[in-house]
Amino acid sequence: MHELAPALKPYFNEETTEDILVIEGTHAASHAARLARVQAISAYPITPQTSIVELLSEMCATGDLDAQFIKVESEHSALACLVGAASAGARCFTATSSQGLLLMHEIIHWVAAARLPIVMVNVNRALAPPWSIWADQTDSLAQRDTGWIQFYGESNQEILDTILMAYRLAEQVMLPVMVNMDAFFLSHTAEPVALPKQELVDRFLPPYQPEFRLDVNHPRAFGGLAKPDVYMEFRYHMQQAMEEALQLWPVIAEEYKYHLGRWHGTAIESYRCEDAETILVTAGTITGTTRLVVDQYRENGVPLGLVKIRMFRPFPVEALRQALAQAQRVGVIDRNLSFGQGGIFYSELKSALYNGDHRPLLNGYVAGLGGRDVTPDVLAEIVEHLIHSETGQDLVWIGVKA
Amino acid sequence: MGHVLIDQEGKPVFAASTGRMEWNHTGSWRYMRPRYENKLPPCTQGCPTHEKIPQYFAQVKRGDYRGAWEIILEDNPLPGVCGRVCYHPCEDVCNRGEFDERIAINALERFVADQNLDRRYPASFRQPSNGVNIAIVGSGPAGLSAAYQLARRGTAVTIFEAAAEPGGMLRLGIPEYRLPRHILDKEIHDIQSLGVEIRTGQRLGTDITLEDLQNRFDAVILALGAYRGRAVDLPGRHLKGVRSALDFLRELNTHQPVDLPERVTVIGGGNTAIDAARSARRLGADVTILYRRSRTEMPAVREEIEAALEEGIDLKECCTPVEVLGDESVRGLRWIKTRLGEPDDSGRRRPIPIPGSEAVLETGAVLLAIGELPELESLPALGTTGSRIAVNDHYQTNLEGVYACGDVADGPVGTVVDAIATGKATALAVLHSLLDQKPAANQPPVVTYDQINLDYFRHQSRPALPHLDVRDAVQSFTEVNQTLSPDTAEQEAVRCFSCGTCIECDLCLIYCPDVAITRGSNGVPYVINYDFCKGCGVCVEECPREAMTFEEELSCTN
Amino acid sequence: MSQIPVSVPAQEIMGSGHVACPGCGAAMAMRNALKVLGPKTVVVIPACCWSVIDGPTPHSVVGVPVIHTAFETAAITATGVRAGLRARGEEDVNVMAWAGDGGTFDIGFQSLSGAAERNEDIIYVCYDNEAYMNTGIQRSSATPWGAWTTTTPVNNPKSRPKKNIVDALAAHHIPYIATASVAYPEDLVKKFERAKSIRGMRFIHILSPCPPGWKSVPEQSIRISRLAVKSRVFPLFEVLDGWKYRLTQDPEPVPVNEYLRLQGRFRHLTPEAIDQIQQDVDSRWNQLQQRIASSF
Repeated sequence: MHELAPALKPYFNEETTEDILVIEGTHAASHAARLARVQAISAYPITPQTSIVELLSEMCATGDLDAQFIKVESEHSALACLVGAASAGARCFTATSSQGLLLMHEIIHWVAAARLPIVMVNVNRALAPPWSIWADQTDSLAQRDTGWIQFYGESNQEILDTILMAYRLAEQVMLPVMVNMDAFFLSHTAEPVALPKQELVDRFLPPYQPEFRLDVNHPRAFGGLAKPDVYMEFRYHMQQAMEEALQLWPVIAEEYKYHLGRWHGTAIESYRCEDAETILVTAGTITGTTRLVVDQYRENGVPLGLVKIRMFRPFPVEALRQALAQAQRVGVIDRNLSFGQGGIFYSELKSALYNGDHRPLLNGYVAGLGGRDVTPDVLAEIVEHLIHSETGQDLVWIGVKA
Repeated sequence: MGHVLIDQEGKPVFAASTGRMEWNHTGSWRYMRPRYENKLPPCTQGCPTHEKIPQYFAQVKRGDYRGAWEIILEDNPLPGVCGRVCYHPCEDVCNRGEFDERIAINALERFVADQNLDRRYPASFRQPSNGVNIAIVGSGPAGLSAAYQLARRGTAVTIFEAAAEPGGMLRLGIPEYRLPRHILDKEIHDIQSLGVEIRTGQRLGTDITLEDLQNRFDAVILALGAYRGRAVDLPGRHLKGVRSALDFLRELNTHQPVDLPERVTVIGGGNTAIDAARSARRLGADVTILYRRSRTEMPAVREEIEAALEEGIDLKECCTPVEVLGDESVRGLRWIKTRLGEPDDSGRRRPIPIPGSEAVLETGAVLLAIGELPELESLPALGTTGSRIAVNDHYQTNLEGVYACGDVADGPVGTVVDAIATGKATALAVLHSLLDQKPAANQPPVVTYDQINLDYFRHQSRPALPHLDVRDAVQSFTEVNQTLSPDTAEQEAVRCFSCGTCIECDLCLIYCPDVAITRGSNGVPYVINYDFCKGCGVCVEECPREAMTFEEELSCTN
Repeated sequence: MSQIPVSVPAQEIMGSGHVACPGCGAAMAMRNALKVLGPKTVVVIPACCWSVIDGPTPHSVVGVPVIHTAFETAAITATGVRAGLRARGEEDVNVMAWAGDGGTFDIGFQSLSGAAERNEDIIYVCYDNEAYMNTGIQRSSATPWGAWTTTTPVNNPKSRPKKNIVDALAAHHIPYIATASVAYPEDLVKKFERAKSIRGMRFIHILSPCPPGWKSVPEQSIRISRLAVKSRVFPLFEVLDGWKYRLTQDPEPVPVNEYLRLQGRFRHLTPEAIDQIQQDVDSRWNQLQQRIASSF
């Protein structure tokens, strides 16, 4: 390993790091899958996910990763393939984006209800028409009600670490996990990424030992017709698992920190929220830019803070209520849109606060759709609007041209 | 890690099966019910003794020849005899005949008998005494059959036979080239092994009387046969050299010296005519058979006629004798051509002489084989129907406790198997009367050709039956027909449709979509589990041989 | 032998109590397929009659592991099962996709084609009852020309021929394709045995009689299936490596009407329409003969 600059040492913990590579987010995801020792991969190419599967193909070809890689004929098949592989007891991985994710939708539901702990990376990309390959989170947020646990990442390192943690969580609660990264801002932006030592990953993430699988010695049928007298209980248990996931996630994050030396927060991360009167809420790569803006406002004496939502499902209601307990004004920045309603994180947060003790002024900002840059200036415009708001506004469009 | 996908009650929390479907008794859907029910094969119905032909074929197929023999013995104690001399009406009605060629049932019966020449009856054939004591007069096929059926049921039987050796017409009438005597002896010996006593040289009316037998026995069965040649009104019939064919055969078969001229003419178309002709041929004579109808009307067994022709016997069809020519001895025979007119009482077309077609045949002997009648002079008290003893449906004569069967009695006459059949029926009737032993219940319906599922059969020809070369055959009285090889016998048994008789072909088991049919045990081939049978009927429809029945579900069961 | 002997393996994997209609060909087909494949088999069932036949959760009649999966995913789920088993080192397990004609000819065709092109190591069985029977007899691309279904009423019956799925699969050059019939269980068993002995993509197309959908009487399910073969509506053959054709049964032919007349779904056909079907069957038979002739 190279000698690290002192400032990087806390982040790139030398004891736990095998190597540090300057790589794109897609490759961070590929390395995570390798380190998780996934056994079955199935994928279909779509920009900007392609580099994930290209590198995994390389790894399988060279033997760096001992996995079955089935190069299928559609995203629908990519995920359906993993339904079979995971049911047979394999640890599975796939990655997609945008239209591909939408094509998977039927099977996305299927995976969750079949209680298969598949981890999927989705590169958040805008939906057509018109064709767009740039960042937008509407694709994954449209999978909100499928029973998948969802994470949104800010950096390539976080993507890698989250994927490893995702397997732990998925296999503990037997629900699938979707790890989302913004198109190009992460997927195709090279950053230094510490690759943890394999033996430490192995210690953190033991081999997958399913309680149920397609076992010829113990034959069972999975997914057979359920009459009304049994169906509802299966759904109740999925919700229970979601709630358990919310409790488990901080524990897993702590364990990850213990074994691998890195911490990205729990379901959320609060940044400079102590005594903050105004707080911005973000998810994905807008977070990094927002940190800069928060720092700038803090230098000017404005008590601005940031809450980053990492985990979208299960939605961390209690953590958010606590993080926002002192805030007077909260602005949610959404790079996504639920037509006829507004930003989706905004809507979720508003709903989370309704039954809480504290209801701050809450604005919903929609910005950066289809990959439009959300620059520090754009964020400053949002902060100024928020600080000067007197009542909450559900939908504030940012940067729409006249 | 504890259980994630199992709840506190141990049940999976997602859709995973924990058991199978046997709780779901789909039999409640059924409104039609299949069941196994053997039907009557036409051969069994066609056989006067009702031999269970497909059943013993099944034993032949598995090489259990003793088993096959025992099945035949249920109905007939003389399979070695019948397998050689029977006119096999069973084959005439064989359904397979409509498909390709009828099954060689007669040859298979012989094969089974021949495989058991060294075997004796199983111990189970000897039953404890039923206290009944029966006298039978005559040890021909009818008397032997009746004795056998009675003895097997614990009855004490004494047979009184006029001749020096038992067997009746089997011994006296049938030539050895058709029925070797060791076969007959063996089967008679088997019957005797049941305790049947045969007293030979006991002629009714001379050595014993009916009245005496009636006094000493619980019942008397008269099975005297028919030995007297039918009288014929033919000019010249008293010339030396004109005689009954049966007398000729009797002399031959009791090894008396027989003097035959070079040229012999036999008159008649039945088995006696053929037997006499072929025997004469073996003694070196040139033989001509004269028959007044055409060959198709000849009552003799078809194969026998063909064999006679092969052996160089001249058959003059549609010829009837007019006069025997000669001074003291026969020199010739004048005959006339006939044409066939309308059917007569026998159902056969009446021969009508064609005027002007007369001709003369040179011959040194004329053997008359135009039918035989019983000799009833010693039995004046018995009611008759003209020439034979009158019996009712239970073979009872007009005298209390006196029964009659075989050729002496009115009914089907002239063949071995009919005699065996009436002997059996008489035995059962006697026991029914004395012990109230009920005969078997009603027969199931007969299987017709259109009920056979032909999709399961391939065309295959009937095997050629092995026999001596004709040049050798006419040189001696060695048996002409030979027995089938075990391979051929098996193939022929397999070729049988086995009409109405389950052969465990497994099709019902294989097709059942509901896995509701399993193999049975203790001789029951299959069992239908009505808990699951939905009554689709595929098993019944596909059974190749109508051995299943599909009937309405009349009531809720179980 | 005179009676055509029929024997199938004795082992019984599938159980009783399933909810297939009386006389269901799909139930017979599954039973015999599993007799060959044995207990070391995983069955993948997409939406089809068998989704119901298997029994309601938590019960299953099949007797080996079953995964019920989405309508269009039989081939790909089976592919995944194979991968998962391989990952676990379980190489000696048969993976069988078991789909109806809708899930094969129509909605599942894409994933079937993908699996075939990749030569996935699975046995794909299509039990073809020639319409969407589970949803109530709607036409599929496997429905034959002229047939009635609830979406092709008698005054407007299906006007396009049945898709030739075997040709479509043969174009993928997979190692083994066979047609099979529940009326020829021994032939069916042999084909499953052959399929079992081959690695790679195997496709078995079984014509599966459906009394409610074909408007036939349950007891005639086998008779009708046999007539399908004898009339050459559904010849029994194999295709090796996508081009080597071999006929496996060649019974004495009968006119197509022998087959058609036992089924209510063809009752409306005019003599001219039946002639048309006969001509189509004859020309497809000739084409098959030519392929057989040029195969070896």
